[in-house]
Order: sequence, then structure tokens, then C-alpha cells
Amino acid sequence: MSTAAQPGLPPSQSPLADLLIVDADVHIHEDPAGLAEYAEAPWDVGLREIATVEERYLDLPGMTPRAEFRVPFPGGSTRRQRVDSPAEMREGLDSLHIDAAVVFPDHLLYLAMVRDPRFAAALARAYNAWLYERWLLEDQSLKGSLVIAPQDPVAGADDIRRHADHREFACIYLPGSGVRPLYGHRSYDPIYTAAVEVGLPIVVHSVEAVFPTFPFQLEVFETTAAQHAVAHPFAMMANMISMLETGVPVRYPELGIGFMEAGVGWIPFMLNRLDKEFLERRREIPFLQEAPSHYIKRFFYGTQPIEEPERRQDIVDIFRLFDGEDQAMFASDWPHHDFDHPQHLFGLPFSAEAKRKIMGDNALRFFRMDDVR
Amino acid sequence: MSASRNAREHPVALVDDFPVGTHRVVRVGNREIGVFNIAGAFYAIPNLCPHQRGPLCEGGVSGTLDYGPGTDWELAWAYEGEIVACPWHSLEFHVPSGQCLALKRIRLRTYEVRVVDGEVLVMV
Repeated sequence: MSTAAQPGLPPSQSPLADLLIVDADVHIHEDPAGLAEYAEAPWDVGLREIATVEERYLDLPGMTPRAEFRVPFPGGSTRRQRVDSPAEMREGLDSLHIDAAVVFPDHLLYLAMVRDPRFAAALARAYNAWLYERWLLEDQSLKGSLVIAPQDPVAGADDIRRHADHREFACIYLPGSGVRPLYGHRSYDPIYTAAVEVGLPIVVHSVEAVFPTFPFQLEVFETTAAQHAVAHPFAMMANMISMLETGVPVRYPELGIGFMEAGVGWIPFMLNRLDKEFLERRREIPFLQEAPSHYIKRFFYGTQPIEEPERRQDIVDIFRLFDGEDQAMFASDWPHHDFDHPQHLFGLPFSAEAKRKIMGDNALRFFRMDDVR
Repeated sequence: MSASRNAREHPVALVDDFPVGTHRVVRVGNREIGVFNIAGAFYAIPNLCPHQRGPLCEGGVSGTLDYGPGTDWELAWAYEGEIVACPWHSLEFHVPSGQCLALKRIRLRTYEVRVVDGEVLVMV
């Protein structure tokens, strides 16, 4: 079974070969034993114990909190859906024609749901140190997202400053699922202050999660299809609204803000809905100097999982509604279950210039990747 | 099974090496074709998923869940051994017919397969 994506044309003959492709979202597999080497006591002991536990895809007791159990019927993908080394990642990205990529974790997608705030903060610190040494220094085409534990924003700010000189980091990653309070809350201000200080944008990245806090109480649904359909966009919408209602983009005008892994269809809805609210209830949020859409069109968005309407022009039309040609960044989500091959987005009826921006240039601008070209 | 005038049979395996319940990807000219032995009958479809062009026949073969008017609204395990799921995004196809389960408008071409003198022959 080949692990990489690879039928079709050999790399040199693909139209993607001549294009700079920056992938805003790929995932690496963090192993508890590896993190243990970077974790302070006594959490290293716990991580070595967790390393003995059997894990499934995005499911590792001790690091990946889950509130539900699924019957494991056979069928579905047989592709290997985890990447354990920089060399393995490079091999996969080469097969996808991807030049540079921003890496996010696997299990720590669930970090906001870890109950013990001390463990959560220790996990984040250990992961960032492990990520820096084991991945970012190994392959210059892999850029890091520095994870913070929302349970302890001050510890997160400290970690951001600890890595201030490490230009291998491209953004600060805010775990977007199961998070309480949402990211507009003033308790996160230390993170935003530190982010502006070191010149890194923040990215909210979600995951499918069933968790007893708004808007993640997805136990009301019976199937994964239903839960997954709303988990990602709900996480994005809730956090976007929260950040706008407390004025994060007004209070931190220098802060780059991105949203990852919810597709793009929700953005035009959100933008028009909030503008409608603003007409009637501006007095509650008077610090917004412009209508919410003004700010939403300055945020950045990963494209994956890109919606696939039968009429392909529909995607181009949706992009127009949120200035997507300038604000959307190709993201594959490699090697996860719903990854998008770049040839799909590239094949949509965008102009050549729009393709160049969406496939690479917008990400260079958002992540300030000066050394990638 | 559109056997054009130029189509001919290509030996792809010995039947003794091709047990019931297995499948493999073979190359015929510049095509990759998935060949399946389902309960002793051979079937072949392209190794190319029409969704995002994944290597469909490198996926696993199983049955699938069915539930609706056809099962009297009882959850059932159906088509055991006849469903291949693309390793990329798990889009399911019924191998003997080439029918995509999620997208009714998509039906893969199927290639005729015969066994002659212990050899598995695919008509391309």
C-alpha cells in the first residue's frame, strides 16, 4: 500500500510543479514518549505511561479527550493517516507538489479539553520544544505553529516569548474546539500582546469534538457525519463572533488572525449575519469602527476541506463574497482523513493570478515567510 | 464493458496466485486497473477515483452499511466483499457494477475479465 498520494502525472509533468505552493495546514504526529523527553517533572512520568496506551487515529487516552465511542465497522480509508518524521512529511508533500507547509499537531488538537490546566500547559511547552528541535530545525520548509494551552494564557504568553527568536515558527495556534471561554475573552489578552510583540499571527484551528461547552455539545447528533458537518464551522463561527464582540481586531490592529479547517462556505454567511446585527445593535459594540464584514475580510482562511459543489464556479462565487482571492490560503490537512489535493483547488475556474495568490502568495503574506520562494 | 475494436485480452495474473477475497492493481499499457476476486468471480475497474483522482483500488474491500426502504429501515451489513473504498477520502464503489454509492451520477467503467487456462485475462 503506497502511503503517499500518487497516481496521475509524475511530479515534473504536473502543472503544479511550476507553482509555488504553500500549505497552511499539515499535521504531524506527536508521540508521548518523544514529548516526555521535553516535559518538566512530573509530567514526563505521565507521558511515558501514556506512551504504553494503544492509540487509534486522533484518539489517544490521556492526550486526546473524547466523550463518545464509535462502533469500528470495517471499510473506509486504508491510507496511513499519520506522519512521524520530517523525512516522511517531506516525501508526502513532494508527492503533493507542496513547497512549504505550516505544521499543526494531531492529538493536541484536543488540548483545550484537557482537564488539568497544569498538564495542558506542560504539554504545550513540551510540544513546542519538541516541534522546534525535532521538526523545524530538521527541515526548513516546515514552519511551526506554536501551540498555547487556553487553560493558562499567561503560560502561553511566556512560551511565545521563549521562542521569540525562533523564526521557524510561523504562527501561534489556538486550539479552537472545546475551548471555554471563547477567544474573545479578555483573559487571552496576554497571548495577543505577546503575539504582536514577536510578530506572529494567531490561527484558530478546530477539530471534531463532542464536549459539554458551547458550541461543542454535539452529543445531540447520532452520527459522525452529522457531528463532523458542524463541528468545525461552529468552532470557527463561535470564536470569530467572540473576538469581534470584544474587539480583538480593534484592540490589536497589528495582530494577524486566521481560521483553519472549516472550509469557506460559512464565511459569507457569518459576514452578512453580523453586519445585519451591527445595524441594530451597534451601541453594544461601538468600538468597531467599521461593520463586522470589514474585519472579517481582513482575516485569513485555510481552504480545506473545500466544498465541492457540482457547479465548480460556485466556489469562485463564494470566494468573491469574502475577498477570498486575497484572504484564502490553500490548505491540504495532509495526512488526515479529509485532506485536499492541491490539484483540486488549482483546477477550479479561478484566474491565473488568483490561483497564484491562493496557492501560495497569500500564505507567504499572512505567515510572513520571508525565506520561502 | 465497451469492447472497442482495438480491445484485446491482457494476462495479468495466474488464477492460482489470486485467492478469493483479494484484489490487486495491475498495469495494462498506461492504465492502472484494479482486479478483484469476489467469491470466485473476477471484476476490474480503473484505479482512479473520479473524486480527487486518488488511487481507488489501493483501498480496502469490505461490505457497507445499508439502512432505508430496501432494508425495511433496519440497519444492515450489506454487499460484504463487494465494496472498495478509496484510500484517500473513503468514497465507496460497488465493484461488480462500478456504481459509486454516494454519488449516484457516477458509475465507473468496468473491464471484462476472463479466466482461460489458469490465466486471468483483462479485456482492454
